Amino acid sequence: MAIEKFKYDNQLTKCFAYATLVWGLTAMLIGLTAAFEILWPQVDLGLEWLTFGRLRPLHTNAAIFAFVGNGIFTAIYYSTPRLLKTPMWSPKLGKINFWGWQLVIVLAAITLPLGITTSKEYAELEWPIDILITIVWVVFGLNLIMTMVHRRTKHIYVAIWFYIATFVTVAVLHLGNSMELPVSFFKSYSLYAGASDALVQWWYGHNAVAFFLTTPMLGLMYYFVPKVSNRPIYSYKLSIIHFWSLIFLYIWAGPHHLLYQALPDWAQALGVTFSVALIAPSWGGMINGLLTLRGAWDKVKEDPILKLFVVGVTAYGMSTFEGPMLSLKTVNAISHFTDWTIAHVHVGTLGWNGMLIFGMLYWLVPRIFNTKLYSVSLANIHFWLATLGLLFFVIPLYFAGFTQALMWKEFTADGYLQYPNFLDTYLNIRPMHMWRALGGTLYLTGAIIAVINIVKTVKSGTFVRFEEDEAEVEVAHNAEDKGWLGHRTLEGKPLAFTFWVLIVIIIGGLVEFIPQFIQVSNKIETEEGYAIQKPYTPLELAGRDIYISEGCYNCHSQMIRPFRSEVERYGDYSKPGEYIYDHPFQWGSRRTGPDLFREGEKGGKQNRPNAWHYEHLMNPRKTNVQSIMPAYPWMATKDIDMDIIPAKIRAMQTLGVPYPDGYDKIAVEKLKAQAKVIGDDLRASGIKVDDNKQIIALIAYLQRLGSDRSGTNDVDKYISLK
Amino acid sequence: MAEEYKDFRKEQDYEIDTLTNDRLIKDHVYDGIRELDNDLPPWWKWLFYVTLVFGVIYLIRLYGFQAPDLIQDVEYANEMKQAEQENPTKNTEIKYERLTDAASLAEGKKLFATHCAVCHGPDGGGLIGPNFTDDYWIHGNTVEAIFGVVSNGVLEKGMTPFKDVISPKQRLQVISYVLSLHGTTPAKPKDPQGDKLDWPY
Repeated sequence: MAIEKFKYDNQLTKCFAYATLVWGLTAMLIGLTAAFEILWPQVDLGLEWLTFGRLRPLHTNAAIFAFVGNGIFTAIYYSTPRLLKTPMWSPKLGKINFWGWQLVIVLAAITLPLGITTSKEYAELEWPIDILITIVWVVFGLNLIMTMVHRRTKHIYVAIWFYIATFVTVAVLHLGNSMELPVSFFKSYSLYAGASDALVQWWYGHNAVAFFLTTPMLGLMYYFVPKVSNRPIYSYKLSIIHFWSLIFLYIWAGPHHLLYQALPDWAQALGVTFSVALIAPSWGGMINGLLTLRGAWDKVKEDPILKLFVVGVTAYGMSTFEGPMLSLKTVNAISHFTDWTIAHVHVGTLGWNGMLIFGMLYWLVPRIFNTKLYSVSLANIHFWLATLGLLFFVIPLYFAGFTQALMWKEFTADGYLQYPNFLDTYLNIRPMHMWRALGGTLYLTGAIIAVINIVKTVKSGTFVRFEEDEAEVEVAHNAEDKGWLGHRTLEGKPLAFTFWVLIVIIIGGLVEFIPQFIQVSNKIETEEGYAIQKPYTPLELAGRDIYISEGCYNCHSQMIRPFRSEVERYGDYSKPGEYIYDHPFQWGSRRTGPDLFREGEKGGKQNRPNAWHYEHLMNPRKTNVQSIMPAYPWMATKDIDMDIIPAKIRAMQTLGVPYPDGYDKIAVEKLKAQAKVIGDDLRASGIKVDDNKQIIALIAYLQRLGSDRSGTNDVDKYISLK
Repeated sequence: MAEEYKDFRKEQDYEIDTLTNDRLIKDHVYDGIRELDNDLPPWWKWLFYVTLVFGVIYLIRLYGFQAPDLIQDVEYANEMKQAEQENPTKNTEIKYERLTDAASLAEGKKLFATHCAVCHGPDGGGLIGPNFTDDYWIHGNTVEAIFGVVSNGVLEKGMTPFKDVISPKQRLQVISYVLSLHGTTPAKPKDPQGDKLDWPY
């Protein structure tokens, strides 16, 4: 075979690397702002765009898709051509991938603060942006696959396997979870409702962690750890086994986010067992990363890049042990809805993702600028700040999560809740949140130092746009080696490899979804008392959309678990049939404030008068001086959007919500009738408010929550034609 | 598995890594990255087997035997049954007497801050709920009358029932504290509501 000469184009690597740094700092800054808002809600400056409920999704999206997203594209566009000995197939598609991805991020940064959101965690972006994401992702995948087709090497390396799994699975997850019915350009409703929506969402949410924050990072690790250390991968066989077991098992584990919630026991059990089975496959990655450094530990002591890698990979091992532990029902009963989860995910993002990405950039930027890293000691300082920042961030949060959960569950000797006022349980952990903010500040300081170091490095060198390389085309290379179970043959067939990945990752989701969907529709038709929910009135629906838009779900759950402590505090525990018209579901994942599911049950534990809700929403400090909830004064001046109401009703009818035929035509009239009753009640308490304001709709929604089961509401007249 | 795996590769397919003496697979070279042919660490393999066995037993216990600790409705029923046995005295009878000792009033003050201040103001001057410092009362001003309101609530006005939240003794303490506010001067008193009643104490 003849040796061929070709060039790698470093342009995209450079662009993605810059974007990683810019968005990384942005994501951390937003996160830190949100951390301070929890301590002092006034940090939002009274601006609706900056309230915690709107910033938190921006932070998570920026950290996952903007920071880590650009980081993994940097790794993929740098390593893929070199591993396959060919330039990326299409520079044009690469460019579309880059600019399209940045456009998605900018649109997220605009729409999320404006309250344009689907409320599905890490999938909050509305449907037009979802379509844009799909296009960009297909462009990326096409370029990856075609580059493999045009490769010169016979086989594809394990890093590429993980890139394939990333492309295929994220595509499936994004399409599956973003199934939504548009109502307007900025608003859509999830096709799924209640428990089914929750199941799909956490299939997505959990596997966004798996296939956006884990598999591409493993690919990154498999390329950069051996490159930087100049050591061989510890075990090829382990690569094969942990790759396939990881991607097969991960997809099943989503229900562990819904333990003790209104999801059937059989589905929860799958979440538990598959999560526990994930320990070994995850640790396979950690072992292959760390043991690759055998024989090079002396280098680790001196090289800040390897130090970052070692701590990052160790953080991966810790969080993938912790994850399965949190999936055990007994542990989850304590950890869920608390800061424990927040600590857990930050071991992953700050440790595993952050440290590997910065380590990669320290190695890669000097190479494409044909220079040396500006300052090794600055990189060392960054390493220590990042490590300390991580520890100061997560250790107090573990403590806070554990403490608050125990306070929620503690009873007096007489059999009453020891801490019936939810706020008391928060005030107790507030000092821990100060430590967390300090940890975040340290980590961000480290990242700023890293950016300065990299900027100085860039300035000291000259950009090498094209790098020359040469290789022979290895078509018939070692063809008789079929490998273990024919795997070596499969490594020579990237399209077949991609196909098998698709098959392996699709099984778990289907086995969980199909019985759940069938079971729900059967129960609605046959089981008496299952469908206890009535459709929302138009006013409540409008209020619900305000609840979604303000991101209330970021701090308030709507899911009372079957524990004595929760039933005592909030009322009867949640039943699956109470959520069947919830498009989308609003179960939440963290209780910074109390659960709201039975808020509307008259005579219930949580019920409050309309006037209380009004005063509390206008200024939570008025009803409780230590409250940390943001104030929402604009709700009393902003009008309810009446024009969209008929379209919303029709959309709900399309989704199967049983409003009578022709109801959309009288929906606004019904809305006004109900609003007047609430408005009159508020005015009777001396509050000056007009019926057409958003706050009326939100109060109507809150006063409805969880009340159908006890029948303590009178909404029938608002949802019938009469 | 391991035996079969080794069979297809011959000695000449390997090189030796000088730092670890492990075997490098000769034709596995990707952009200079080499791969060793190390076997799976035995502890890792066992860890995997154990977690798989755990999963199988777990699923059999649920699907095959409906294990009570894996069905959440059953778990809940058991937890409530146990709580009932442990707290048989939850709603004991008490005497409707105004308490005047300092300890009870201090306890009542704490309870007031936790439960009542959100609606009746931190100094009892009224906010969403009525003012406690004036001579006007909507549902009566005896301990017994107020005890009924605190225990069962006034649903149509939004007063929450507290019978499942605080014990009868605590209710008595907080009511005694409320009565002690009578005649004080709050910062922002709410306008009178209800009827002017004689002071019984």
